[in-house]
Amino acid sequence: MKELLKNLSEEFGPSGYEDRVRSMIREYIERDLPTNCEIAEDRVGNLYFHVINKDKPRLMINAHMDEVGFMVKGITEDGFLKFGCVGGMNPLVLGAKRVVSERGIKGIISAKPIHLLTNDEKKQPPKVDAMFIDIGATSKENAEKYADIGDYFVFDSEYVEYGDGFIKCKALDDRHGCAIMCKLIDTIKQGADTEYDLWFAFTCREEISYSSARCASEYVKPDYALVIESKAVQDIYGVDDEKKVCILGDGAIVSFMDNGTIYDKDTVNKLISICKKNNIPYQLNKYISGGNDSSAIQKSICGVRVGLISAPSRYIHSQANVVKYTDLEAMYEIALGLIKE
Amino acid sequence: MDFIKESLKELCSLMTVSGFEKKSRTRLFEIARQYFDEASEDSFGNFIFVKKSLNNNAPRLMIDAHFDMVGMMVTDILEGGFLSVTNIGGLDARILPSAEVTVYGKREIYGLISSIPPHLSKSGKGNVPKIEELYIDTGYSKDELKELVPVGSPVVINGEYTELQNGFVAAASLDDKACVCAIFDAVRRMSAEELKYDIYATVSAQEETGKCGAALSACRIRPRMAIITDVNFGAIEGDKDYDSIVCGKGASVDISALTDRKLTRGVMRLLDKEGVPYQRICEPSYTYTNNDLVSVTGEGIPTVLMSIPLRSMHTPVETVCLKDIRSLADILIRVAYTEKTDLEAI
Repeated sequence: MKELLKNLSEEFGPSGYEDRVRSMIREYIERDLPTNCEIAEDRVGNLYFHVINKDKPRLMINAHMDEVGFMVKGITEDGFLKFGCVGGMNPLVLGAKRVVSERGIKGIISAKPIHLLTNDEKKQPPKVDAMFIDIGATSKENAEKYADIGDYFVFDSEYVEYGDGFIKCKALDDRHGCAIMCKLIDTIKQGADTEYDLWFAFTCREEISYSSARCASEYVKPDYALVIESKAVQDIYGVDDEKKVCILGDGAIVSFMDNGTIYDKDTVNKLISICKKNNIPYQLNKYISGGNDSSAIQKSICGVRVGLISAPSRYIHSQANVVKYTDLEAMYEIALGLIKE
Repeated sequence: MDFIKESLKELCSLMTVSGFEKKSRTRLFEIARQYFDEASEDSFGNFIFVKKSLNNNAPRLMIDAHFDMVGMMVTDILEGGFLSVTNIGGLDARILPSAEVTVYGKREIYGLISSIPPHLSKSGKGNVPKIEELYIDTGYSKDELKELVPVGSPVVINGEYTELQNGFVAAASLDDKACVCAIFDAVRRMSAEELKYDIYATVSAQEETGKCGAALSACRIRPRMAIITDVNFGAIEGDKDYDSIVCGKGASVDISALTDRKLTRGVMRLLDKEGVPYQRICEPSYTYTNNDLVSVTGEGIPTVLMSIPLRSMHTPVETVCLKDIRSLADILIRVAYTEKTDLEAI
């Protein structure tokens, strides 16, 4: 799964421009397609892998394909690109980072250097409006050869394995979810049985509004949904224990609640019992924060029973998302357990 | 330009955090030996390379660029595999979160600068974290780290050499390796017959932490005159024309109370006469470069300050235009081919 995770995470795919990630996943899941399976795409760009099991309860497993990024809003006379953020980002993680555009143009996020800041400015967090992308253009006219208003950029950040089993890359949120779903699809192709009319939904634009996941839910009309996600945790030095949320390496996070959703109690219990039965490491979230596609799915159609498993992740929405590989393996095992129930 | 590109890429790959320049001594000597006749070093970490003129009794011209770069140093090994650090040189804490680093412990270790979301930060919401509050995430346990990383180990903020458009490149430590590269490019193209000076190229230590290195070398060399080369702020949006130089429009001759007025004027007139393009910028008092100490070393040394425009200074993505490096090299050659008295008489 690591090679797939690397390829998916390094691919370009900000919210609203998931095309390349979608093609990469489609190509992967199309291989040796069994006769009881079909692949579909809907009008908003969600991609589906359907294991046909008529008259069985319908389960949708979902992960989002998009990542946070940047959009060019204007070009200055000097040839610098002014940009806005696609998805929520802390301006503190933007300065002096490498970015790359949909056309493969490399740039860096630049601003006034520290030497020229006033004392007041040094104490203030940087503002996106004071930053620009420097692509090495010599004028506005020159820059227009390489970029246009509306062009997307994403972080230019490679997949790295470091320390004791940690992985760093941009966009691990939520390409690791996509990779786990691809792996589950592989397992099904190899003959794993399921008690569900099973849909895998690779969704778009989670970072903006969760609304594409709602469309997916309307398209699939599931009875149950399992969302596979990243959960921002702070298990780093200097944070009080209760605010660490969860710990990398302690297993998949099974959530009972976050800022968007109170999860279906039966589904949560089922996930926990799968963990206990199969000795899969898991942890409950100790701090209520964040939200994800679950909130949109739960409130779609006439209500969907939704559960969530997430990878504890450091520094999400930056160029360096961090997960631990053993947590991803645990998530795969839980989802597989659910499919087989 | 191929020479500049290749040489710059290699220079930027060398680990030279201030105070640790000697770590890259061997490779620097291998590179410099191709263009110079003599090489020497001192205990402080300064390197001096000499190219001799064929003219006997030629006076000494010192050309300086600093080798060191800003970075960090490990101050403690913490629970959970984190390291606390302090800065070496001026760093903007506002660009550090989520940056990738290399810790030079017993071996090189990959790390990330952690970031705490504003609502959990001890500095509070809306404040900038202090460097002491940004820990390096290594992915190892505390026990493993104690074996791997002695306190005091230097840390580099990774900034791989990246080509942008129009001959622009971004990398860590272009301040001041762009100038080291320009000196090497100039010297390799200098003809010993035409040289009016013995060239003493100083690749100096610890400019970022006190600017003492170049002054020590100047003290040893006692040159007739010195040219200090460093980077200066490349214009960005909102900058005033008179307060910055523009990347891609050539190196600059800087005018300051702490440089030699006659010599500076002479260099500019020489370049005007020969039609060599250059930019001008005024640093009315301090220049905040090695110039400020070199000019008053010993009985005093007449200095000229030249700069390469650079954007995103003191970040791992410092940006220069390769043409400006070539421009500085061209200017250095013209000056090295002109007698000091002629320069002052022009």
